[in-house]
Amino acid sequence: MSILSPIVTIIRNQWASVLVWGVMFAIGAQALQLIMLMLRFDAFPNYLITYDWVGNAVRIINSTPSVKDMFPILFEEWWIEIGFMNYDFGNGISEWSLNVIPSRLFILATMGMLLKLFVVLLGQKSCSPKNTAFAYAGAGVGTLLISMTTAAMSWVVCCAAPSWVVGLAMLGLSVSASLALEGLGPSLFFSGFFFLVGALLFLSSRITKYGEDGKRIDALADCIDARTQSSDVGITNNINSNSDSSTLSVRT
Amino acid sequence: MRRVNSRLTALAATIALSVGFANQAYAEKIRIAIGHQSMCTDTYTAGIVIKEMKLLEKHLPKTGKYADAEYDISWSDYSSGGPITNQMMANKLNIGVMGDYPLIVNGAKFQETESLRTLYVAGTGYNLKGSGNAIVVPVDSDIYSIDQLAGKEVSTPVGSAAWGMLLKAMQDNGIASSDYILKNQSPAVGAANIAAGKIDAHSDFCPWSELMEYRGTGRKIYDGSETGIPYLHGVVVREDFSSKYPEVVTAFIKAVYEAGEWIRADPMQAVTLMEGWTGVEKEVLYLYFSKGGHLTLDPTIKDAWIDALAFDHTVLEKEKAIPPLDLNEWITEDFVKAAYSELGKDYEAEKADVVDAEVANKGLPNEIWHSRDGVTTYSDVPSFLTAMAQMTGTGAKLNATYVYDSETGLKLFGKTAFWVKSGESYNAFLRKGEAEEFAARQSGELIDFETAIANFVKEG
Repeated sequence: MSILSPIVTIIRNQWASVLVWGVMFAIGAQALQLIMLMLRFDAFPNYLITYDWVGNAVRIINSTPSVKDMFPILFEEWWIEIGFMNYDFGNGISEWSLNVIPSRLFILATMGMLLKLFVVLLGQKSCSPKNTAFAYAGAGVGTLLISMTTAAMSWVVCCAAPSWVVGLAMLGLSVSASLALEGLGPSLFFSGFFFLVGALLFLSSRITKYGEDGKRIDALADCIDARTQSSDVGITNNINSNSDSSTLSVRT
Repeated sequence: MRRVNSRLTALAATIALSVGFANQAYAEKIRIAIGHQSMCTDTYTAGIVIKEMKLLEKHLPKTGKYADAEYDISWSDYSSGGPITNQMMANKLNIGVMGDYPLIVNGAKFQETESLRTLYVAGTGYNLKGSGNAIVVPVDSDIYSIDQLAGKEVSTPVGSAAWGMLLKAMQDNGIASSDYILKNQSPAVGAANIAAGKIDAHSDFCPWSELMEYRGTGRKIYDGSETGIPYLHGVVVREDFSSKYPEVVTAFIKAVYEAGEWIRADPMQAVTLMEGWTGVEKEVLYLYFSKGGHLTLDPTIKDAWIDALAFDHTVLEKEKAIPPLDLNEWITEDFVKAAYSELGKDYEAEKADVVDAEVANKGLPNEIWHSRDGVTTYSDVPSFLTAMAQMTGTGAKLNATYVYDSETGLKLFGKTAFWVKSGESYNAFLRKGEAEEFAARQSGELIDFETAIANFVKEG
């Protein structure tokens, strides 16, 4: 059994639930960002603009000869802008805004799905001595880094260009510290995924182990076999496609 | 016969369809999307004025390959240059107008890509020594010079031209970045904090400092002109657009030129209309666009501008790790020269003409803007103050008054100037320190505007 088997099994049997988690997580994360902005600036948003994302994406594809250039531009393309317009001066200035960007939504949804897998794997019974604290730490750090680097907020003080460090500056980090961190964005983002995926693999490995022939075997079944021999308790190790909390269920 | 007829009909139909398709192919729809800033005065001649006066439509080519072209012109208003660059990158804008620092970022960000470029094709206006950016303190503050900012909280829109000016000003005055607390604040928030006295000082770009002065909430302690680095704005165009439609870019620059001429012809009418278009008070706009104002409208690309942009790039390099920028590749005079040629103007002559307020504003009359009678001019300060005494004595409603800094030649609001009376002569100053020095030299006294006016009130 591969180390990925438990994860694949969960996805196969609970794909709808995993998908819903992902979508809900993405929406929830954006809503949370908006709430944080409202708290930070003590104001409700007073404008909302929707953009023709598909049309704009087609335009970018048609007018950017290099694929290497195209993807970063597409990655930053907005779909919805919601924020606060200050009308004290001139015809109004967008003071702050949350930019809903489909590429970021996709990342957040992916993160949500990974977190769902994490929760399900965490619920698996295992007799592995491995400490779940490592998994919690990995998932926590990973989630924090990904959330932080995918925040897309604008603040006119940073020339209104949406950037993840604009989010940090808005939330209180000093300008110089925020700007110093900007270049680390991609590294932090990929590190976040590394930690989160690492946490998943760690949990997955708790319920798999290598057999004497060098192949991976189901650690839980192995563990249960041992317990069966010692306590003569009836065990069933089956794939439960209906259970929401576990794919490998054990009845004793 | 019938078969021949039907063949002829089919042939005719085919020809008709072909002609139809051919016509359709020539009737190209050309999308011209422009990003401008209605809250940045120095961009108006490539933005709001062209838009509202429909000057681009007037100059767009309508002959030759453009005979059947259909133009789709759109204008997008932004509060700063950064998002204009982003939108140009996504090809949602073909043309952008912005200040020097954002321009540098624009060029560098495009050159960082493999396949996309912009070209800096024309200026809009400038101030030779850097006026337009300024540091302002709350009107009741006891801070009068930049030296006093050590240990204080100073805010600025980071990344803007005002931010660049602030860094340079602090460096020039020996104030290390660790000696003051830099806060990142938008123009609107900075202005609100200055009004509420929540921040020690705020550095901002045109016309925010003057807006605060006009509203009576802020006082300038440092003008960008003290850095001695030109403050300029300009037009950038996506290179793919300029290659495909060079005549359209030339037409745009012709519109920029005409917008400048329209303002110069009647600044009063221009600022009154611009107030309606932008929401910025006309009295503040007058400080920029009137004769002797902060802004010299000029689309030419001067050698000094290239040096200034190169300097700005070094400032950004130090602070933000901006990508490299090849100025020679980025800046082109081809379009602006073509525009001047088509307009019958002498490009080289205008390029060589540089306006320095200190020289050009010498002897310009002081002005009073009466709300009903408009602007009246006074060749010397005593006659100006006499008129002020008369008008205020009758309770006349005055929109604004304008005088010139004795030190730099900058145009100022009369009410925000520091006045020195020495004997029977009166001089206006931007900064208190220089006014005090002048007073000491001339054995004069430092007075405020109201006292200066009161000295001309006739009894009885």
